[in-house]
Amino acid sequence: MDFNAAEEEEFGFSRNYFLAKETGSSGKKSARKLSDINVVDEQELREASANIEPKHQNDVADLINSYKSLYPKWVFDLRCGFGLLMYGFGSKKSLIEDFASTALAEHSVVVIIALAEILWEQLKLNRKVSSRSLPKVQQPFSSRSMDDLLAFLDGPEMDEKDSFICVVVNNIDGPGLRDTETQQYLARLASCSYIRVVASIDHVNAPLLWDKKMVHAQFNWYWYHVPTFAPYKVEGLFLPLILAHGSSKQSAKTALIVLQSLTPNAQSVFRILAEYQLSHPDDEGMAIDDLYSISRERFLVSSQVTLNAHLTEFKDHELVKTKRHSDGQDCLYIPLTKEGLEKLLSEMS
Amino acid sequence: MAPSLNDDSPPSTIDEAFTENNLQPFFVLQKGSPRKSDRKSSGTGRTRRFDLSSASPKNSANIEDEKEDENMNLRMEAFEFVWSKIESTIKDVLRVMNTNVFSEIETWVHQSFDTIRSLGTPEFPEATQSFPIITDANSKRLFTGLVLTKNMEFVDDLLTFEELGKHLKYQGCHVANLSSLDFIAKNGVGGCLRSLLRQFLMSSLDPADISILASWYREENCNNPVVVIIDDIERCCGSVLSDFILMLSEWVIKIPVILIMGVATTLDAPRNILPSNALRCLCPFEFTLGTPAERMDAVVEAVLVKPCSGFIIGHKVAVFMRNYFVSQDGTLTSFIRALKIACTQHFYTEPLSVILLEFASEEDNLVLEIERHGLSPEVIWKHVFEFPSCQRVKLNKPTSESLAHAFSELKRLQNQWRAVVLVRLSLFLCFDCLYVTGKGEKVRLLDLFCEAIDPESYNQGEFDTNMKAEKDPVLSSSQIKGHVICKAVRLVRYVSNSHNAFHLSSIRDLSTAKLGNLLKIWENLTVGIPEIDGKVKELLSLLNVEDGKSSKKDLTVTPRRHTSRIQLNIEKDSKSLSDKAANLIECMVRDYMHPTECIPFHEIFCFKDVDKLRLVSTEALIGDPRRRIQVDLLEFQKLLCCRCCTSSSNALLPSMHDTSIMYKLAQEHGDLINLHDWYQSFKSIVLCPNSKRKPRQSPLPKKRKGIKEAESQSEASIQAQFCRAVTELQITGLLRMPSKRRPDFAQRVAFGL
Repeated sequence: MDFNAAEEEEFGFSRNYFLAKETGSSGKKSARKLSDINVVDEQELREASANIEPKHQNDVADLINSYKSLYPKWVFDLRCGFGLLMYGFGSKKSLIEDFASTALAEHSVVVIIALAEILWEQLKLNRKVSSRSLPKVQQPFSSRSMDDLLAFLDGPEMDEKDSFICVVVNNIDGPGLRDTETQQYLARLASCSYIRVVASIDHVNAPLLWDKKMVHAQFNWYWYHVPTFAPYKVEGLFLPLILAHGSSKQSAKTALIVLQSLTPNAQSVFRILAEYQLSHPDDEGMAIDDLYSISRERFLVSSQVTLNAHLTEFKDHELVKTKRHSDGQDCLYIPLTKEGLEKLLSEMS
Repeated sequence: MAPSLNDDSPPSTIDEAFTENNLQPFFVLQKGSPRKSDRKSSGTGRTRRFDLSSASPKNSANIEDEKEDENMNLRMEAFEFVWSKIESTIKDVLRVMNTNVFSEIETWVHQSFDTIRSLGTPEFPEATQSFPIITDANSKRLFTGLVLTKNMEFVDDLLTFEELGKHLKYQGCHVANLSSLDFIAKNGVGGCLRSLLRQFLMSSLDPADISILASWYREENCNNPVVVIIDDIERCCGSVLSDFILMLSEWVIKIPVILIMGVATTLDAPRNILPSNALRCLCPFEFTLGTPAERMDAVVEAVLVKPCSGFIIGHKVAVFMRNYFVSQDGTLTSFIRALKIACTQHFYTEPLSVILLEFASEEDNLVLEIERHGLSPEVIWKHVFEFPSCQRVKLNKPTSESLAHAFSELKRLQNQWRAVVLVRLSLFLCFDCLYVTGKGEKVRLLDLFCEAIDPESYNQGEFDTNMKAEKDPVLSSSQIKGHVICKAVRLVRYVSNSHNAFHLSSIRDLSTAKLGNLLKIWENLTVGIPEIDGKVKELLSLLNVEDGKSSKKDLTVTPRRHTSRIQLNIEKDSKSLSDKAANLIECMVRDYMHPTECIPFHEIFCFKDVDKLRLVSTEALIGDPRRRIQVDLLEFQKLLCCRCCTSSSNALLPSMHDTSIMYKLAQEHGDLINLHDWYQSFKSIVLCPNSKRKPRQSPLPKKRKGIKEAESQSEASIQAQFCRAVTELQITGLLRMPSKRRPDFAQRVAFGL
């Protein structure tokens, strides 16, 4: 009977898909443009989105509070060796943080918030901190490779059974943690005897991130359906607003973040290019040779190779693009508006 | 937005931490603090934490809370005890199952090592060189054991390979366990080498070089083989694996490596993954592990049938778990996980489950000290006599003694039940051996178990009716069909009645030798249960007498013409014997196979809330985010329980959650959603306070004119709401953002629930 139901479901799925396809491709397809909407100024849009009046605030709070009665069960499950995985619509950040801070008061709790912009390097750093918070244990090794750390955390049976480190990862399926390697490391971390993971997922296809070994043997998930309907404030922070495309502010901001992580010399090279672009608004871009000679004059680069290294870095982060000049020469330009560029330069200094 | 925390929320610093750390990639919320309660939790030395008599009524609520906490901690302790017992039992069972293969592998490892050594050991100058010695093609052969796991799902075999590693280590080999994660293209061959060095040298050296391994081996006493276990080669990156194999084969004289590789599919697997030059280096041998079904039976026998932890599952739960095992992925791991979830549920919901700690550990004289379990006696008695099983038998004297008596009775009945089930099992095993090909329907212990714990069929006397039906095969054959236990009896009768169907000697085999063996097994199984044991012994002595008679007849040299008469006699005797055996089984099933759920107080030990498990396991074990998140959005009123949106179920109201409105609107569209239209329909809904708009209608441009009066909400805020809803749908993965090619259309991802 189950089998039939599953078949039925599958059939329903494909039927829906083709129906949708049909509706989409039939003559009715609307040709309206997004630009027909009188989109307000981006600044205003951002302000408005920061001040959206929350709907059902009390109901949402009640709903989240109603999960408090589950806290003892969650603690019980954690102590039984399961990892908790929260899913359902709405940000579960505050819920799991509240759980961690109230119900897990007896245990050492480390919170990792997974965000789109987190780099893997930073995560590695996390692990180190998390191990430092281990009670009463000194780190017995000097080399701190990931494997050492995992081996350390996966110690033999602990002295006191109930002391474990709870790693809370909100949005474990977030774009920053979505690659296989990261998930493998998280899984290995979760399988350590000292570690329990409390995590939340938001994406409907999140289970595809894990194979059977990870789900059953490492994460050992205990799923809980806890929709909160709380706004995705943190999780959506780095996603662009759909009505604010080509936003100079946003890209200037991300450009700034990238630039700040580069060396001062690289920053100065970028500044030369930016200043050139501002002073020659009609030009298609700056020729590489010109950039090289100016950079060399200012002792920013010693050779073409160094400059190329900087340029590669820029290109990787889409700070700079190349264009074929009308005279056939390659030239560089920064894909930002004049305002954005000015803002960036002022913030860089 | 942090929800308002409850009264005893931690100091406000944490709240501040929330807001401050919102954008930090991570932070330590709190460091390990000394435990609030100084509960000491060693299994034996438990002390009574508080005195019930001194409980003053003033703060009784407080004390109740404290008691509840205490009880919960004790339950946790009991769970840990029970589960660790179950877990170690499972491990032991699987180890025993693998013993034969493991020792086979071990012998092969040593033989291969000897072969490698016979090719010559490197001289000192050669050994110290940091490059391999190659003499001839023969010396490049790498002995490889292919272990067929007979299981597509790899997860069950993780433990097997771990245990194999331990076993070989214990036998003096140097063992390294590698997994497919060590063979990824990104790290190349360096990745697995580094992992090897880590495991052998206990340090991670950069750069990883195999000559380091060679010098390490030279420093060791060179008398032991080096075994490298790769648990699933199908998932390894082929090029990395072949590099690894080529590298090892060149060094095999210096480092006598023997490979063991897990193969989930067929023996062709290496051929599919590896290029021919790597294949040429391998010198393969084949080993086979047990099938998942065999393991399953062994685990069910050890954990659920034989006395293990005291924790048991009810009939419906067992049936559910069996179906789960069959219909889900068929892995033992998921079955064990389901069992563990049932176990946690039981200990979490049943306050008296603490008793399991003593029930399992102490033998006969169970002295119950209810007060020890952190609950007041009144509460406990009330709880106990609310059990349906107790109300059935109408116990009138609620005392510790009566409870203790009931427990020992329960234990006794369980032992009987267990013995009968095992007797049945032995019968099946015996017939399986005889007629494996003939019948084609192998009886699994799990099925047998599910049937044996069915209280309903027991209560209705179904066994009896079936037995009767059995005697007259014409009667209701459909009723008998599928009844496993009756099938066993039928088989016994079948064999004893079918003179013509089988050659005499085979029946004689069963009647004397086989039946004797069977009875001996039964005798062992029923030790400690005098009622059954006596009957089995009686039958066994009868058999011995028969046996003596027939062997005597065999020994005497009889003339040819007498043979047929003697055979007829033997036939008759054996027929009466197998008849007796069948009668014994009937009697056992009728009188001694009390399913646990028919025994008073079983609720303490038995988890039978199948609905909860079903709910939990469909949710807890696999989760269903794809459907559930969509349902959340489509039926959000049910979850939020707000008054404003529940009035009409189908219409979209402006008070609804924005994302929910948007998602419902999206259902009208095809796989592509025109953003402009979507926005306009969203806007019209948000702006019309009392419109009873059906979601099916598409928004019309002229309608927009009508809404002009509702200008209270600014355009900007609607646009912001729209943007946020789109972002939220993007986060949940239900929507794909516009591409460069189609900037005005978003794409729907999910169709149907």
